[in-house]
Amino acid sequence: MTAIKPILLAEDNPRDAELAMAAMEEQQIADKVVLCHDGAEVLDYLYCRGQFTSRLKGNPAVVFLDLKMPKVNGLEVLRVIKSDATLRPIPVVMLTSSREERDLSESYSLGANAYVVKPVEFHQFVSAVKELGMFWGLINEPPPERPGSGH
Amino acid sequence: MTRDFQSESSTPTASATTSQPQLPHSRTREPEPLPVTTSALRREPFWRSPILWFRTLTIERRILAGFGLVFVGILIISTVSYRNTSIVVANSKLDTRSHELVRLLASIDVTMDEAENNHRRYLVTGESLYLDAYWNVVEQKPKFLQYLANLTEGSPEQQQRIDRLEHMIDRQLAAEAGAIDQLVSHGFQAVKQLALEGAAKEELREIHRLIAEMEMSEQQALQRRIMISASTTTRTIILLGTGAVLQLVLLAAVYYLIRHDITERRRVAAELQRRGELLEAANKELESFSYSVSHDLRAPLRHIDGYASLLRKAVTDSLNEKAARYLQTISDSAKQMGQLIDDLLVFSRMGRQEMLRTTVNLDQLVKTVIYDLRLDLQGREISWTIEQLPEVPGDPAMLRQVFMNLIANAVKFTSTRPIAKIEIGIDRRLPREIVLFVRDNGVGFDMQYAGKLFGVFQRLHRADEFEGTGIGLANVRRIVHRHGGRTWAEGEPDKGATFYVALPTRRPRT
Repeated sequence: MTAIKPILLAEDNPRDAELAMAAMEEQQIADKVVLCHDGAEVLDYLYCRGQFTSRLKGNPAVVFLDLKMPKVNGLEVLRVIKSDATLRPIPVVMLTSSREERDLSESYSLGANAYVVKPVEFHQFVSAVKELGMFWGLINEPPPERPGSGH
Repeated sequence: MTRDFQSESSTPTASATTSQPQLPHSRTREPEPLPVTTSALRREPFWRSPILWFRTLTIERRILAGFGLVFVGILIISTVSYRNTSIVVANSKLDTRSHELVRLLASIDVTMDEAENNHRRYLVTGESLYLDAYWNVVEQKPKFLQYLANLTEGSPEQQQRIDRLEHMIDRQLAAEAGAIDQLVSHGFQAVKQLALEGAAKEELREIHRLIAEMEMSEQQALQRRIMISASTTTRTIILLGTGAVLQLVLLAAVYYLIRHDITERRRVAAELQRRGELLEAANKELESFSYSVSHDLRAPLRHIDGYASLLRKAVTDSLNEKAARYLQTISDSAKQMGQLIDDLLVFSRMGRQEMLRTTVNLDQLVKTVIYDLRLDLQGREISWTIEQLPEVPGDPAMLRQVFMNLIANAVKFTSTRPIAKIEIGIDRRLPREIVLFVRDNGVGFDMQYAGKLFGVFQRLHRADEFEGTGIGLANVRRIVHRHGGRTWAEGEPDKGATFYVALPTRRPRT
């Protein structure tokens, strides 16, 4: 089990972020979560630049991406990740309010690994986030880090 | 259409029929009402009636009528011209014949004269060479008589004269032959008198007179024909001239009609295109609107429910029953609104979504719908009666939504019955459409509200009686309309309800 690998959560809405963190806390994986407030921050983290210049090298276990975010939106981040050979193996889960067919098909065609619609009901939301965190952060075996990878 | 609806809904008994949309053909009826035309006929002079009749025609029929008139005109002109030209041609043939006849008569005249004169010389001299002319007449007579008969064919007057002419010629020849015989047998003294006066003096004079008469008659006929030909030709020219002018006027009118029609059509097409563009823009806007609805409205609802839950957890020890109920209501309301938004989005998507055009096996579809509803059917006793259903043209996902809503409704509104009865079948099968129904023995409804059933957010039952957002039947109607069909319902309070879906058996054009 790769306990050290962090979970990257991209969420611009502080309330959604807080609720998600509350769910993660219940699962006791909150300390592994790195919260980004927009798409640009996600890319900064992945490429170790800006405020993340001195972070520990290595890809996160999973990226939870909101679709609608300021600066760089979720689909753009997804496109960057899936067109970069080093980042491509990172599992990307779209976590969004949108159930629109257009968003679904575009996400999958860009290479998203999963697409989850945030349930309105808090209990369902909590259990969804918990299960996602559990599965991608603990159960799923992340891709092996290639030597010399990371930026 | 609008007037029809108003007049119908103003009568209280018509509420049942208002739920059924009017058949579209009632709209295509000609706007020109018949009574106006007949009353106008009574007042207007008679020549106005074709004009009034013409005005009631559609543009296509007007053009057709115009071309029809042109065609009839051309036909008449052609017939009359042909007839006139035939007359002129026939006359000119007759003229040639007349000239020929006149020439022939002149030559007969000369020949007979010559025969008589030479005959006299013969009688005096006894030189047989002078008889050549006589023999020539004897020999040629049948030939030129035949020729004369041919040339005067169709003119009994002239032929009578020919008969007399023949008779006279015969008499002249006979007289001359008699003189020749006398000369041969009795010598010159016997024919001296004849030689001086001429053997057939009387006959020859009569021949001259007959020929002159025939010539005169032929010249008169010739003159008559020339006049007829001239007037016929003039008439033909006038007819052709006025005909051509009339045709041109008619063609110009038809051209004007067509041009007017084309301009009108172009204008309508341009207008349609403009409206289409506006509609497309409005549609795009609606799409982005519903997109933000789906995304942005959900978030605060999730927060309301989320924070209410967190609050409950935080104060769980000091929470009294009342406060717990308040918190629960906040959560429930948020959930309900979330459901409303989802349903509304589905409704909006059903209106915008591209329709798949394929064939749907309704039999299979109803089976899967009932299978998908199995969780709702747990603990329920339902007697199903399902007829063999046909295949219809349509979008499978959309039609599935229709039957899902109708069957789920039937299941829902029979929940108070110990044994629910749900029947799905074909009401009637027409060549153009098939009418399907879903019938239940549930709580039913008052027909007074039948018109409201298919509206958005319209509910006939209180929220605590039966749950639901009031979108389902609106979706049904929207989908069925997009398939070119109709929906309506019949029911009675506490006796059950029947929902009808009429679907066209052929693909709709749009």
